[in-house]
Amino acid sequence: MLELDDVKALSERAAAAVEMAKKAGADHAWASAGTSRSTECHVRDGALEKMQHSHSRRLSVDLYVDGRYFNHTTSDLRDGPLREFMAEAVALTGALEPDPHRALPDPALYKGRASVDLQAVDGGLASLDNEGRLALCHAMDGRMSGKTDVISASSTVFDGRFGSAQASSNGFSGAHESTFVGTYGNVTLQGEGDRRPEGGMGVGARHRGDLLDPQWIGDEALRRAKARLGSRKGPTITTTLVVDRMAAGRLLYSLMAPARGWSVQQGRSLWADKIDKAAISKVLTLVDQPLLPRAMGSRLFDGEGIAAKPMTVFEGGALRNLFLDTYYARKLGKTPTSGGSSNLVVTPGEGDLDSLVADAGKGVYVTSWLGGNSDATSGEFSLGLRGHLIEGGKIGAPVGEMNVTGNLLDLFSRLSKVGGDPWTYGSLHIPTMVFEDVSFSGE
Amino acid sequence: MEDGIISEARANVDLGVGLRVVVGDQVGYAYTEDLSDEAMLSAARSAAAIAHGSSVALPGAFTAATPGRFYELPVAWSDVAVDAKLPIIRRVAELAKAGDASIDKINVSWNDEDERVLIVDLEGHMVVDRRPMTRLNVSTTAKKGDVSQSGGSNLAARHGIDWYTEERLQTVAREAVDRTMMLFEARQPPAGELPVVLAAGASGILLHEAIGHGMEADFNRKNTSIYADMIGKPVAPEFVTIVDDGTLPNERGALNFDDEGMPTERTVLVDHGVLASYLHDRISARHYGLSASTGSGRRQSFRHVPLPRMRCTTMLDGPHTRDEIVASVERGIVAETFTNGQVQIGAGDFTFYIKNGWLIENGKVTAPIRDCNIIGNGPEALRAVTMAANDSKLDTGGWTCGKDGQGVPVSQGLPTVLVSKMTVGGTHA
Repeated sequence: MLELDDVKALSERAAAAVEMAKKAGADHAWASAGTSRSTECHVRDGALEKMQHSHSRRLSVDLYVDGRYFNHTTSDLRDGPLREFMAEAVALTGALEPDPHRALPDPALYKGRASVDLQAVDGGLASLDNEGRLALCHAMDGRMSGKTDVISASSTVFDGRFGSAQASSNGFSGAHESTFVGTYGNVTLQGEGDRRPEGGMGVGARHRGDLLDPQWIGDEALRRAKARLGSRKGPTITTTLVVDRMAAGRLLYSLMAPARGWSVQQGRSLWADKIDKAAISKVLTLVDQPLLPRAMGSRLFDGEGIAAKPMTVFEGGALRNLFLDTYYARKLGKTPTSGGSSNLVVTPGEGDLDSLVADAGKGVYVTSWLGGNSDATSGEFSLGLRGHLIEGGKIGAPVGEMNVTGNLLDLFSRLSKVGGDPWTYGSLHIPTMVFEDVSFSGE
Repeated sequence: MEDGIISEARANVDLGVGLRVVVGDQVGYAYTEDLSDEAMLSAARSAAAIAHGSSVALPGAFTAATPGRFYELPVAWSDVAVDAKLPIIRRVAELAKAGDASIDKINVSWNDEDERVLIVDLEGHMVVDRRPMTRLNVSTTAKKGDVSQSGGSNLAARHGIDWYTEERLQTVAREAVDRTMMLFEARQPPAGELPVVLAAGASGILLHEAIGHGMEADFNRKNTSIYADMIGKPVAPEFVTIVDDGTLPNERGALNFDDEGMPTERTVLVDHGVLASYLHDRISARHYGLSASTGSGRRQSFRHVPLPRMRCTTMLDGPHTRDEIVASVERGIVAETFTNGQVQIGAGDFTFYIKNGWLIENGKVTAPIRDCNIIGNGPEALRAVTMAANDSKLDTGGWTCGKDGQGVPVSQGLPTVLVSKMTVGGTHA
């Protein structure tokens, strides 16, 4: 049986799949072979609850036949079934219709790959065994289990290693390896009546040495749960919105989702006629940064093989660039950038949560969202929230069962400040954000 | 199909084995996509790492259970050729295009699956199931001057290709166009607490979020659900009966056997207003001293552990009519179509997002509304169900329920229901 646990074997597998596709009659092909191993360890109330081991492998092949496109993804990597499938797939594409925009990227875009060490692999992580995972969980659990009002506490450690290699019939070859490790604590408390408020805290990183102290994670999860005790439905009001740096990503994702080639070309984008036009607050500068060492979203090339480089998304009150893959770039008559984001980094402003809350004087401080959605075409949105009232420049009583509702472009034109306190454990690096005169619904 | 061309197709083969070891309430789990003896033994050792003590005896023989009957198809999806599907995709696009002169873009996507499952356990049970699934999604964008609006509709079920009748295609295309065109006139509703009339069908999302998740027994055995101490207690008016049913033929949430190899059933969650039963997997059934689970142990695939999950969740008919319900509301909204929902199990706070709906003014349905989040508290919302009509129906949309990173297909339904007060996300203007 094939063992694909090293990049060399993956690269050979991807190259072989491209050759098979060509032999089966494809004009062009792209193949990606990947493998992952991961472990999750869960401790609840001091005892092991679940230990899960995963071992996955995938091969994905894109076939281009006379302007038709077929993608095949499989975990069955044997030569025989793969060769049979390619022959069938090439024949099947005949049933599809030709589309002049279906093509591999221009090979010129593969060139200029940065020579940065992304430090995506922690070589020492392999020494983390079940005993070590349990010790990390118990370090978190010890700060949560058995404390006042705690009904139940859970601690999770997850870690693993990914490897993947890609090859194409027009000259691309590349590979990527990464490790990841994370810790998460969650607490359920006895609240008023039947209510059992929860709080959680977690971090993820490429290197174990970049994790935060597990005892701090446990303390923070408990603090966050306790902050929910006595939560009431907040008022229906128009006031200042202060969004926690860990919650702000949800708003930015909603604003950016329509900034993709697919959305714009299909007329499903609030940005369709607004590229490079003043549409939101000048306070927001957002850059896609793929080359940051150790960051979770870093990469040297994207999913199509396009060499990664920083790209300004928002600056000076306008959307400056779209996320454009080859297909939609061709449809729109533009040059591809990348079909997806890497690390989204908001240029920090000044101040931290306390100083921004003090400046606001009154308002609503949002710690997390519950449900909600937005319309990518029109920008209308509505989100459930949990957080606190801001009273006298301080974080006050906990509130919930409230919604914030409006239009995304209008909301981001009301962005008055971003803090100097970005949260960097993840692929979003966003500070505290402050919006003026936002519409909340509650009691 | 996009821009009038069907130029893209995708195929996915998933093959693997998962091994679960249970010791008390503890679970060891491992899976591998390499079916060699060596790889499977390695996965088994990983899964069993939580166990201590001597090995258990293997059953002498595995007894195959009688195959279920809720979704037998004359022709399996893996035997349906691509060119049999393309005319359906083209027809539904044609119907959508003809739906309104301002329709500018149409996307149609098609998905079918032929899932084969074999489950064995140490008690000698063996279950073989073949689970079909199909889904057709239609999205439309209309343009009037400089203004664009987008909407859509979809169909999903454990049916075969014959299910896609001309009538069904007409319905799904008309829904997609109507929901898009409505948005040109629709506004976000006023903000604050309002009576909410939930239209029959997809509004079952209320049950899914407000009570369904909280009734999953894993949360209750861990004491982390707001419903953990409520069995046998009244939670809703007497006319409210809520069931979760895995036995509804060909529905998206139907199952012959669950993913622990247990037969599914119709579980009454709320019986005439009284909380009756949780949804159990085998671990929680043993925890609560029950003779069997409720057949609710489900997982996304061999890569995941089974968890107590919903199947087809619905409320039975109530004593009122839709007209009576609408007429009783002085100022409120009708919720008609939805995109998503969420719940916080312990606090009981839940949400669902209304894509299309209507204002009610002085007992009459008036202007269209759009894009508003509804937020409430599960037990409070159930107590606030003041009327339920005699028009209960299941939605045919492709709902997928997410829990612990796993998605499973579900169905949901509801009669027209009035919840006297929930917080409606709106604008003040």
